[in-house]
This record gives sequence, C-alpha cells and structure tokens, in this order.
Amino acid sequence: MNTLEKRFSFSRLLENRAAFLGILIVLIGLASSIIFKAFFTPINMKSLILNLSTEAIVAIGMMILLISGCFDLSAGSVFGLSGAIAARMMYINHYPVWISVLMGLVTCIAVGAFNGFLIAKIGVNPLIVTLAMMGLVRGLVRIAAGTGLIGFPAAFTNIAGTTLLGLRMPVWYMVVLTILFSYLVSKTVFFRKFYYMGANEQAAKLSGINVVRTRIISFMLMSGLAGLAGIIFSSRIESALSTLGVGMELRSITACVLGGASLAGGQGGVLGAVLGTLFVAVINNLMIIGRVSTYWQKVVTGTILLTAVTLDAVISRQKAD
Amino acid sequence: MTTLENHIEGRFSVGTVIRSIIQNRVLFLILLIVLLSLFAGTTYDTFFTQANLKAVILNIAIDSIVSVGMMILLVSGMFDLTVGSVLGFTGAIAALCLDKLGMHPSLAVLIAVASGVCIGAFNGIIVAKVGVNHLIMGLAMLGVVRGIILLIIGSGIHRLPVEFLNISDGTFLGFRLPIWYMVVIALFFAFMLRKNNFFRRYYYIGGNEKAAAFSGINVPMMRIVSFMISGGLSGIAGVILTAKLAASIPTLGTGLELRSITACILGGASLAGGYGTILGSFLGVLFMGLVNNLMIVSRVAISWQSIVVSGILLIAVTIDALLKKSEQ
Amino acid sequence: MGKQSYIVFQGITKTFPGVKALDDVSFSISAGEVHAIVGENGAGKSTLINVVAGNYHPDSGQLEIKGKQEKIRNYAEALDMGISVVYQERSLVPNLSVAENIFADRQPRTFCGFINKKKMYAESEKICESIKLDVRPNTLVGNLIPAKQQMVEIAKALSNDSELLILDEPTATITENETEILFRVIKELKRKGISIIYISHRLQEIFNIADRVTVLKDGKYVGTRVISEVKVGDVIRMMVGRDIYAEKYRSSLKEEKVLEVRNFSSKKFHDVSFELKHGEVLCFAGLAGAGRSEVARAVIGADPLEEGEIYIHGTRKRIANPEQAIENGIGYLPEDRKEQGLFLEMAISKNIVSGNLDSVSKNQIINEKEVQRVSEEYREKLRIICPSVTTKVKQLSGGNQQKIVFAKWLLANPEILIVDEPTRGIDVGAKAEIYRIIRELASQGTSIIVISSDLPEVLTLSDRIIVMYNGTITGELTRHEATEENIMHLASGFERKEEMMV
Repeated sequence: MNTLEKRFSFSRLLENRAAFLGILIVLIGLASSIIFKAFFTPINMKSLILNLSTEAIVAIGMMILLISGCFDLSAGSVFGLSGAIAARMMYINHYPVWISVLMGLVTCIAVGAFNGFLIAKIGVNPLIVTLAMMGLVRGLVRIAAGTGLIGFPAAFTNIAGTTLLGLRMPVWYMVVLTILFSYLVSKTVFFRKFYYMGANEQAAKLSGINVVRTRIISFMLMSGLAGLAGIIFSSRIESALSTLGVGMELRSITACVLGGASLAGGQGGVLGAVLGTLFVAVINNLMIIGRVSTYWQKVVTGTILLTAVTLDAVISRQKAD
Repeated sequence: MTTLENHIEGRFSVGTVIRSIIQNRVLFLILLIVLLSLFAGTTYDTFFTQANLKAVILNIAIDSIVSVGMMILLVSGMFDLTVGSVLGFTGAIAALCLDKLGMHPSLAVLIAVASGVCIGAFNGIIVAKVGVNHLIMGLAMLGVVRGIILLIIGSGIHRLPVEFLNISDGTFLGFRLPIWYMVVIALFFAFMLRKNNFFRRYYYIGGNEKAAAFSGINVPMMRIVSFMISGGLSGIAGVILTAKLAASIPTLGTGLELRSITACILGGASLAGGYGTILGSFLGVLFMGLVNNLMIVSRVAISWQSIVVSGILLIAVTIDALLKKSEQ
Repeated sequence: MGKQSYIVFQGITKTFPGVKALDDVSFSISAGEVHAIVGENGAGKSTLINVVAGNYHPDSGQLEIKGKQEKIRNYAEALDMGISVVYQERSLVPNLSVAENIFADRQPRTFCGFINKKKMYAESEKICESIKLDVRPNTLVGNLIPAKQQMVEIAKALSNDSELLILDEPTATITENETEILFRVIKELKRKGISIIYISHRLQEIFNIADRVTVLKDGKYVGTRVISEVKVGDVIRMMVGRDIYAEKYRSSLKEEKVLEVRNFSSKKFHDVSFELKHGEVLCFAGLAGAGRSEVARAVIGADPLEEGEIYIHGTRKRIANPEQAIENGIGYLPEDRKEQGLFLEMAISKNIVSGNLDSVSKNQIINEKEVQRVSEEYREKLRIICPSVTTKVKQLSGGNQQKIVFAKWLLANPEILIVDEPTRGIDVGAKAEIYRIIRELASQGTSIIVISSDLPEVLTLSDRIIVMYNGTITGELTRHEATEENIMHLASGFERKEEMMV
C-alpha cells in the first residue's frame, strides 16, 4: 500500500476501462482488416456504425444511471414507446410530425419521472420498479402500436433518413450526443454529483447533494434518451413495431459494464458506454463477416461480459488481500 | 410482517386491520384471488367451468415450479435471471437426446435435468465463490445459455417420441400430469422450507448474513445449492414444457425470469432477503395466471395483462415502502 | 465475600497495532454474582469481553475458569465451556419465530434433519419460563418490542446451558421502563447461580442491579468495589482523572449569538435547547447513546424533527435537509467518517472538493487544475500524509482520512461547524493536529460544536460544555468549572448537586 504504483502497470490500465477498450477495439480492428477483406470497407463500417447508433444513445443514458448507482430495466420498453406514440398520433390522428414526436418524448420523460419518484422519494427498490414498468410500458406500446404501424410522412422518415457528409443522420445524432454528454458528465458540477451519489449516497447527502431531486432527473434523462433513440430508430426502419426494444436494457447494461460501469455505482464514463456498445457491435459484425453462425453471437457476448466481470471480481479480491 | 404487539396500545381500528392484511402478503393475495374469481365468475359464464379452471391450473404449472426455486433464492437474498434460458436449454437437451441420439425418454429427461443442475452449480460458484454480482452474472449467463440453445438446435426440433410427450399429456385422476408435478414439488419444498433444518437456514442467511455465518452456517455452499435447485427445477419445467408443446424451440422460456420474480414478490418475497414462502410464490403465480385467463375470457387485449399485473406489483411494493417509512 | 470465583483474570495483556487495549489486568468474578465492568470508551471493556469469548487471544496472562487454567481458542469453545455473550447488535432474524431464533441452527431434530417442532417449542417455553419471559414460542421476533427482543437474545444465549452470561450494553436499545423487565430476568438468573458480567455506561443501572463493579481505565485495572459499600462519586473518580492534561487553548469567542436551538424533540431526544456564540467551541459531552449525534443530525436536517425551532443570527430558519443546512452555513462532520463522510473509492482531491464544487468551477464547469491546486494547498496546510492527491482515500490511515474530511469542510467554509467525534480511532500525534485545526478555525470566526466522548479532549477544546444523558441535557459547565469528574457525573445522568461530587 505504501509503494507507489508502477506507472504503466497492467492493473492501472484495466482501471481506465475506456482506454483499455479503445485499444482493444483498435487491435481487433487491425487484426480483422487483415484477416477479413470485407471488414474495413466503407460499406461495412457505415452499416456497423449506423446499426449501433441508437443502441449507443440508450447506453449513454444507462451509463449515467449506473454512475449514480441505479439502473433502469424499462429502457427497452420506453424505447418502443416513443415510436409507438408518435406513430399513432401521425398515422391515426394525423397530427403534424413535430407534435407527435414531442408527445412521444414527453411521455417517455414522464415515465422516467415516475420511476425516479418511486425509487428516490418513496424508496422502492429500483429493480422492482423498473421491472414492473418494463412490463407496464410494454403493454402500452402494444396498445399504441397494435400489430405495427407503417407509412409515415416524409418529415418523420427524414429524421433518420437524411444523409450528411456521406453518413446517415442517426450516426450524427450519436456523435453529437456522445460528445455533448461526454463533456457534461466529466466536467460539469451537476453530473459530478452523480459520481458522489453512486460512490456513497449517505456521504453525498451530508455533503449537501439533493439526492432525491438528482435521482429523479437522472431517470428522466435515461428515459428521455431512450425515447429519443426510439424515435430515431422508428424513423429509420419506417415503422413502429410493438417488439421494438425488447432486450435492449440488458444489452445496454452489458455495454456499460464492459465500458467500465460498476453496479455499485460511482464509476464509469460516457465514452466507456459508447465504446462498450462499439465493442459488442464489432464482435457481432466480425461474426457475420466470418460467416460464423449468428447463433454464436449471444454466446460470445455473454461470455465476454462474464469474463470481464469475473476478472474484475478476482482482481479486486487480490487487491483487498 | 411488523405489526406492533397489541399489549402496548390494544387498538384494533379498521386501519390496523387493513394494514395487517396488506402486510400479510399471503392473506392479501388470497383476498385478491377470491375477489378476482368472483368478478370473473359473475361476469363471464365461461370462467367457472371445469375445463377453464383446469386450463388455468395447467397453465401455471410451469411458472409455479420455477417460482419455487426462485422463492428459495429470494429468501436467501438472491435471484436467478437464467431460469428462462435454462428452461429452454434443458428442453433442447432432452429433444436432442431423443431425436438425434435416440435415447430412452427417462434417460433423456435425467440428462436434461442434470444439465440444468450443472448450470445452476456454475451460477452458484460464480456468485458465491468468485464474488460476481448475481444480477450481472444472471444477465451474462442468460445470454450465453440462450445462445447455446440456438447453437444446438438451430430453428428447433419438432419430432419427439410419444412416450416423451406423455410426460405432459398423461392424466391422473382426471388432472393432467404437470399439475401433479407442480403439486408434489410445491408441497415438498414448502415442507422442507418450514421443517427441514438445512432449508431453514436460508431464512437466516437472508435475514442476517453475518449472524448466519457467525453461527457456523456455510453460506457459500448453501448459496451454490440454492442455485442448483433453481437450475434443476427450471430443468424439470423445461422438460415438461417441451413435452407439452411437442417441440423444442429456441425461444422457449423468454421472459420467464421476470414473471417469476414478479410472482414471488407479489407472494411476499423481499429483494433484501429473509422473507417469503412457497405458498406465497404459488399464490403469486396463480394470481398472474388468473389475470391472464380473465383477459382471454373477456377478450381483452393481451397488452392489458402486463399492464394490470405490473400495476398491481407496483401498488403492492409502493404500499410496502410507504408503510415502512411511516414506521420509522 | 467467601464466594467461589468463577473467572479469574491474571495479568491479561492484549496489544493491537498502536494501542495497548489491555495492560496487565487482574481481577476475579465470583460465581452467581452480577459483576459490572465500567470505564470510558477505549478503556478496554470490549477487548476484555472478546478475550473471554475467545475472539481475541491475550498476548500474555492467564484465564482461570472454575479453578482451572483455560485457553479459549474461539467462540465455539467458549460456548462449550458455558460462556455466552449477548452483544449490542441484534443477531436475531425478525421473521422467524422466537423458538427458531433461540435455537438458531441447533433446533432439536428427528431423523433426517427435520425439525421437531413440538420439542423445540416445549424447550423454548422452558427457557423463557426460566427467565420469566412472557412470549409465545411461535411469535415472530419482528413483532416483539425491543425489550422483549433483547430477552430473546438472552434466552438464545441461555439455551446453551450457560453458566456465565456477558451482557454488552443491554439497555442501549431499550427504554427505561423496559429496563425493569431486563432486571427481573437478571435477578432470576442470579437466583439460579448464573454469573453475569454487565457492561454498561449507565452508572445508575449498575448501582441498581450489580453486586460488585470493576473499573478499567486506559486498558489498566483500577479496582473492584462492592456496590453496597461505595458511592457513585467514588466510582467516577476511579474512572476518570488523569495526571496529564493537554494545554488549554485560548478562547476567541464573542458574545454574539450565532445559533440558537429551542425545544428540539424527536423520538431520540427531548426538549433540547442551547445557544452557540460566535467563534465559540462548544462541546457536547456524554456517553454513547446520549443522543448528541441525533441532535446534530436534526440540526442539519438529516433526520426528521418532531418539534423545535432553530434560529440563525436571530432569524428563524427552516432546515429540512443537509442541502439547506449548508445553504444556511452549517456543516457536519459525521461520526462514522468511512460510512458517511468519505468517498473511499475516490481520490483525495475529489473528496476535498465534494462539499463545495462551486469554489473550483466556473459557470458550472469544473476546473481540474483548480481542484488540484486546492487539494495540494490543503494537503500542505493540514499536513496530510499521502503519495499524491490522486491517491484513493481508502488507502490512508484514520488520522489522515479525518484530515481530509476537515479539508472538505474548510473548503466549504461554513459559519457553523458540527464535528462528531473528531478523533475517534486516531493516534495521538494526529489528534493534536486536529485540535490545532479546530482551534484555528474558531479563532478565525467559525463557531464550532464538538461532540465527544473523550473527556480530556472535551476539557482541552471547549469554551463551554453541555452534557447530555439519555436524550436530555443534564447540565452545562464553563471551561473553568469543568472537571472530568463533574462532566462524568452529568453524563451518567445525575443532577448537578454538590453532594454527589464528593
């Protein structure tokens, strides 16, 4: 404990998970581009990034929650909700696009506020609240979207459909949000409080942080981002399906944990969330290119997560001894 | 769970009675089930028919068996997110043994259930010995196992011998066999949890882990066993469901873990551990099954089912939390 | 007294890194007596219990039980020898029955490990009967009032056929009325010849129930007296009174009233009122459980208040949470710095700025250079020993950790600072530095409330002393009239009467 840590020791590197992931991704990318000619082509890269763009946005929201010591299992259902509500309003009620989108987002943020209120103010366990909301909101999605709605006005499909500098809009949304939140979360007073809350809620409260209010806002942020991602995705696939977003919460928690988040809270960063999502996407993409059966995808992702957290647990045990 | 001793201020107002009922989750559930059944029976003629009621009980058999294992875990302060994937997995193993290896059904079933127990052992070791958080472990494993199912049976196996199907199709005293499996398993574990010293320890572990360890209880070993039980019961459920559907498909069991946890929490379990009974888990599953049935009978969209069940869960835990707050 | 000795301590010494918890302690406890052990915090009482219970092994000295020299290697062996301990922390499981808790893992069984419920209930009824505890064996422990839960703990210890029962602060969590129930049980146990070691801060109770009392001070044995032959004042004198005093600081207070608390009441304390003057160091003395931390937490809004008003500079203020407390210029260093005061996994610098992020940021954006600079500044000022300000706080010693908590509040710069047990678990050198910090703060105009159970510390630091016992204020002393003895008198619940202090 008294000896200074070696500057570039392996464990130090592991601690900065984002950097570690970044290097890992680069290495894998380099190796893959040599082995698979098809990997490093513009077409593949573009589709890879496009596909992960909405997942990354949800992961950003999840990471923010995880930093503060919570998580949200209803994120996937909320993802589907915004698109479903917007679609219904445009398709059936013929409201203008921007009102429909706004209503979709507002509903999602309201769900977040509700989650936050129950968890932070009333004190119900986050797992149960978000588990129940996952089912409840999914029910709402099914009611709103029925068997699926298609046929949207151009204004809506343009949200995701337009291209800028050769890349589709969702990619740009992701880039902007990543840069924005990366900066906010690491630099601003407001988001710094999330780290304190996650590290030690009691100490944070006594330091003058209004834990209840901050938590509620964090859940509103999560649901808002999930809703935004849902709108973008619906626009992209030009339909609103009731199954949209199923399993997304677990995928984004996986990405965040890979990216450095701890379930205990107080750790992680936005960049880590996006890199985690990228990492999983790259692995999946490689499997597709390498013509590995898609059935392997789940196994591989799960094994990676398991290995990562097991290593974490083992290392922290050694440190404690 | 915590009504104050009456000798202090012997008050029996309506308020305290209602409070006690809500806090005694089993009573509360029974009340809800009775009310719901009465409502359903008087509104829809098809509800109180023998055929319908038998269908309800049959449909909850799978969830109920799995919830027994989940309840034991919750009592000890944990939960298992892999039950759905394990259910599909064991069904797939059984189907493979039968279809590709031509094994005798009993052997196939044995191997299938054993595979469930093995996965449970693995889960338990990772959580109890290595120290990985059980939520994350469950998340990771649920994906891995689900993926393995896809690997081993691809789009599914639809050709299963009749002797195997009898596991589910057979009847005894007018009731389909799965109902009997459920009854036997539930009664067995309910008895064990109440009477057997070994199982009783799960309450100590869930109630006060430090004190439990201090009394000499081998907590890691007991946790591993509890996961093995959950895996084994999911295995049995997987075999039964596969037999019932006469096919092993890769999506079997998706969503089961969350349904099961919901049922157990409704039935009185607490995520903190130390609370809950098998009877409670059964009632929770029964309640959810009744709501499902009511939706079908009244031809309400299925979408409302999850809204109603989730809503009730939320109300129940919110009331719990509010009561706890007011007592402090 | 002619009674046979049950336990004899011969020269027991136990050292931990940096502190001698027990120093050549020798005395004996007779069979069938209620023997109280008293002493301040850190006197060695807990260590002694743990030695008897087998959790600690003495570095030197012998333990003689019923005339035979014994080595107790662990609690299981102690249990086998008929020794059991009832600690302050509950070891009961609230939603299992009384009988199940009494027998914990040792329920009477039939074959195959099935619990013989009838036998278990019968046995537990027998035990409860023997201590005149009126509960049904199937009642859930969670439904019992705390006093009866305490009894169940005792029954649990007894189910072991104990001959020696050690009670560690048994009345800490029960009300005074409920104490009657406990005493009835103890008298019954005594009648059966069971020996009882009774550890408590509450001298009144000890004078009520014990036969003899042993006083420990700073790990050393001071003396044993027969209760009926001694006065409270004598015992107190044995507990306190040291030859070495730290220097008294110069006072820097002004008459201006900065804080006034009127009629604070809640479940944990009753009708507490006091004032704090500008630049004053006001010490709240008392024993553990007196309610001082609870009052502090109510002042800063961390716990709810049933009744009472708070005035700052003469204006009535509403403080409903710690955020509002800080806005009103009140800061709080909690008693448990690890659980409530520090972010152990975070760097020193991050901890230091956690109470005042605005001071190192502009337009809501944190200036990392400024964070670094400020941290280095405090590192130097407070002489914090660490590899760098990016070191994780959990790697530091207790004294340095406490300095970081102070640094945090120095940065937050409140007008009023409440410090709860500032030097708990800190070595002598760091203690002196913390006193220096506190006094310097006061001389610069901060008004400070120090909650402390360390009497020399109270005498060193304070301009004025308020003593609490059992949730109420029992007295107030100026620095000139305060002595360890009269503080201890008031802290033990006795009124401020001149005769008692003789």
